[in-house]
Amino acid sequence: MAKVLIENLYKIYPAEKGRPEKVAVDNANVEIQDREFMVLVGPSGCGKTTTLRMVAGLEEISRGAIYIDGKKINEIPPKDRDIAMVFQNYALYPHMSVYRNMAFGLELRGVPKDEIRRRVDSAARTLGLLEPDNLLERKPKALSGGQRQRVALGRAIVRNPKAFLFDEPLSNLDAKMRVETRTEISRLHRHLDSTMIYVTHDQTEAMTMADRIVVMRHGKIQQIAAPLDLYHQPANLFVAGFIGSPPMNFFNGTLTASRQGTLEFVEKVPAGQTPFRCPLSAETSRRLSSRQDREVILGLRPEHLHPNSLTSGSTLEASVEVVEPMGAETFVYLKTGGHTCICRTTQVEFMDLEGKKLNLGPDLSRAVFFDPQTEAAIPA
Amino acid sequence: MKPTRSSVPWFTRVALILLGVLFLLPFFWMVSTSLKPLNETMKLPPQWLPSSPQWNNYPDAMRAMGPFWLYARNSLLLAFLNVIGTVFSSALVAYGFSRLDWRGRDACFFVLLATMMIPFPVVMVPIYGLFKAVGWIGTFQPLWVPAFLAGAFNVFLLRQFFLSIPRDLSEAARIDGCSEFRIFWQIILPLAKPALLTVALFQFMATWNDFLGPLIFLARENQYTLALGLQALQGTISGTPWHHLMAASTLVLLPVLVLFFLTQRTFIRGIATTGLK
Amino acid sequence: MMPGEHRNLIKGLVFISPWIVGFLAFNLYPLIASIWFSLCDYSVLSQPVFLGVQNYVDLWHDPVFWKALRNTVVFALVAIPLSSFLSIGLAVLLNQPIAGQGIYRTIFFLPSLVPAISLAILWQWMLNGPMGLVNNLVRPFLNIINAVCGSHLQAPDWLNDPNFALGGLILTGLWGTGQAVVIYLAGLQEIPLELYEAAELDGTSAWQRFLHVTLPMLSPVIFFNVLMSIIGALQTFAVPYILTGGGDGPGRSLLFLATYIYQNAFDYWNMGYASALALCLFVLIIALSLVSVRYGEKKVHYSGR
Repeated sequence: MAKVLIENLYKIYPAEKGRPEKVAVDNANVEIQDREFMVLVGPSGCGKTTTLRMVAGLEEISRGAIYIDGKKINEIPPKDRDIAMVFQNYALYPHMSVYRNMAFGLELRGVPKDEIRRRVDSAARTLGLLEPDNLLERKPKALSGGQRQRVALGRAIVRNPKAFLFDEPLSNLDAKMRVETRTEISRLHRHLDSTMIYVTHDQTEAMTMADRIVVMRHGKIQQIAAPLDLYHQPANLFVAGFIGSPPMNFFNGTLTASRQGTLEFVEKVPAGQTPFRCPLSAETSRRLSSRQDREVILGLRPEHLHPNSLTSGSTLEASVEVVEPMGAETFVYLKTGGHTCICRTTQVEFMDLEGKKLNLGPDLSRAVFFDPQTEAAIPA
Repeated sequence: MKPTRSSVPWFTRVALILLGVLFLLPFFWMVSTSLKPLNETMKLPPQWLPSSPQWNNYPDAMRAMGPFWLYARNSLLLAFLNVIGTVFSSALVAYGFSRLDWRGRDACFFVLLATMMIPFPVVMVPIYGLFKAVGWIGTFQPLWVPAFLAGAFNVFLLRQFFLSIPRDLSEAARIDGCSEFRIFWQIILPLAKPALLTVALFQFMATWNDFLGPLIFLARENQYTLALGLQALQGTISGTPWHHLMAASTLVLLPVLVLFFLTQRTFIRGIATTGLK
Repeated sequence: MMPGEHRNLIKGLVFISPWIVGFLAFNLYPLIASIWFSLCDYSVLSQPVFLGVQNYVDLWHDPVFWKALRNTVVFALVAIPLSSFLSIGLAVLLNQPIAGQGIYRTIFFLPSLVPAISLAILWQWMLNGPMGLVNNLVRPFLNIINAVCGSHLQAPDWLNDPNFALGGLILTGLWGTGQAVVIYLAGLQEIPLELYEAAELDGTSAWQRFLHVTLPMLSPVIFFNVLMSIIGALQTFAVPYILTGGGDGPGRSLLFLATYIYQNAFDYWNMGYASALALCLFVLIIALSLVSVRYGEKKVHYSGR
């Protein structure tokens, strides 16, 4: 149970023949609280795994520092950091039984035999490795993917470490197993009540499991926030587009003054087409007054575009291209004057609308505005 | 030419059968001669099978070679030491060349590959001088100590195998608390058993078959290996008793054949992988 | 260097330390010492005395050296292509869906296991003049040829005839070619079946498929094998040495560079001269390897690279 502090962390791969210097992690600062479930998320090559591996001690720290419970661990070898790691490919020792796989780390630490037996049995019971079938004497080869995953979890649990590190632990499982294991890990987190750092490229995993999420891109941290804060108040265009599925809709346009003295968003469209205009509330207008007559990007979640809307204010006319019924809800892919956009609705009467026109009512109270130059969200 | 149809032309079968017989013939001739009485070995046209097998030829040949069992013991001892030495040291070196990252590793490995182009006859004179200087000529040391210093070819083979073991395993072990040597000993070596067995087999064969090494480094007859003992038999006896020579040759070959048939799968796979990178 | 990198370097060097010692003692030192010895009069029993290039001058005027060089090169140039053709041919034959493939593979492989001493003594017997099995197999064919053409061909007395001794040795080598068969067979089995199916759909004959699919796909394996064979052939010692009962054959027809090095070093204790010979052998190996690498670069087809 520990607090992990990442301070001005850099990973720099020096230039080699034919390859320029590469900054894999660029000045990362993260404070992970005791018992927090922190997820590092981002596209591949964003530096999330490198960061995790530096915490584990598998990767040299180029600059900066990592502290666990206030103790600087830069020069401490992995085994003395009191962390456990679950690898993407499980990394179970193929020549050892499940029992020995879990016991190995404890044996090396000189834990007494009966204590090892007790801890392994307890972990195995928690993870369902004892029932319905006792898998402890099997070799990893004789296990299914999900079972291997649970052994890998067990190996981490028995160590009772200060922090658990997960490196994309679900990416080798099929879709169904992935969802099951996801909840399993969440349950474990509550049960063990310990600090967990979890790396994934899958934003759904991040959203569903995390207490807080670190979004990374090109080695830089984009935003650190709780899942819903991230969802509703993304710090920039990248986070807005990366988090949420289907992704946020973006509209380029300008803010102009309307007759009522408030601001109005006017979509930027090719010449000859009618732009979609919509007035902002008085409060939003006040907030964005400095942006008057300047270009902005309007971001709207698919669920904040209401089809056939009766809401006041102007509507957005769009033609329906594809309708994807998901059961509980429906995704409608639309084309408006200058953009394509996605609308997500729980209404079901859109099934036969492909190719037809539809009026959309944007809920601007939920909109996020971005600066097109800096791509940052315009602060609320 | 992998035919997609299942029919194989008849001449392919005939060619294979003929070639197979041709390749087996020398073995047959060796054993057949070894069981003949001396006068039947000299018959013209040759007699395919002995009229009655002379099993006594084998103990006779062993007696003719002198201390046969001593030679056998020497050969076995050397083979054993060489196998132990080369398996352990080559694995250690291969580990350094495959599972560790360090500056200059690839350059060093290139040098190691290049040393495979230096055959023993090229360097045997200074090596002889070296062993002479430390007083090892006429002892077994020159024939087994170098095996503990890793063979380039074995390092190459093991490195290929080690590279195929996922890196994750080493990292998991490191987090579990293994030192580098323990990772090597408890994780990598157990996983590399087939490759280690291959190297052990190759080394056994190489030592058992070695002729030039014992020829130049050994001095006294009681140190001879089977190969040297057999050569001495060939040289000393006038009138060339072919039945004895064939019996002795068969005896020297026999352990190799037995070992091969016991480990055929590993062996063939090992040979096959040496050629494919 | 960062501290971690330094640690890694030390760790790496510790692991490869056995090889470093071996390399220094049994590769680097001997090569350098050979150069020095080759410029000296040296008999192991006494200190080397500097002679300058005298050993090389002697070498240039030594007909026996030229004989050994010629034998070595001729042996390599004849034996390597022959054994390559034979082993590729055998592998191609074996790579058919025939019953008993494994048994045939074992049969062809077995001879390569035979220790040099047994192999040489066995073939001494096989090639033993009129009594040898080889001649008894050859004679009926010669009789037919003689009857038809009216010629007077005689089966040779292989090992006692300077014109045939090398041939006898090559025959011995061909019998022991099985290791290459196993390697080629594995190489053939790596070639994807689709390539043959595509070629067959294109209407090619079996021979064309061999030329345009099998050979190019197999070329890296062939290249590797030929390179290894060159290095092996140039250091030939044990088999001819034993075949000739510890000598060099009639008219020195089985004298190879390695044999001559051995004779000078351990029969005449002329280590300086032996070192000069050893360096010649080394240069020859480097030269032939470089030639084949050069040639190989152009001809070898590495798929997916």
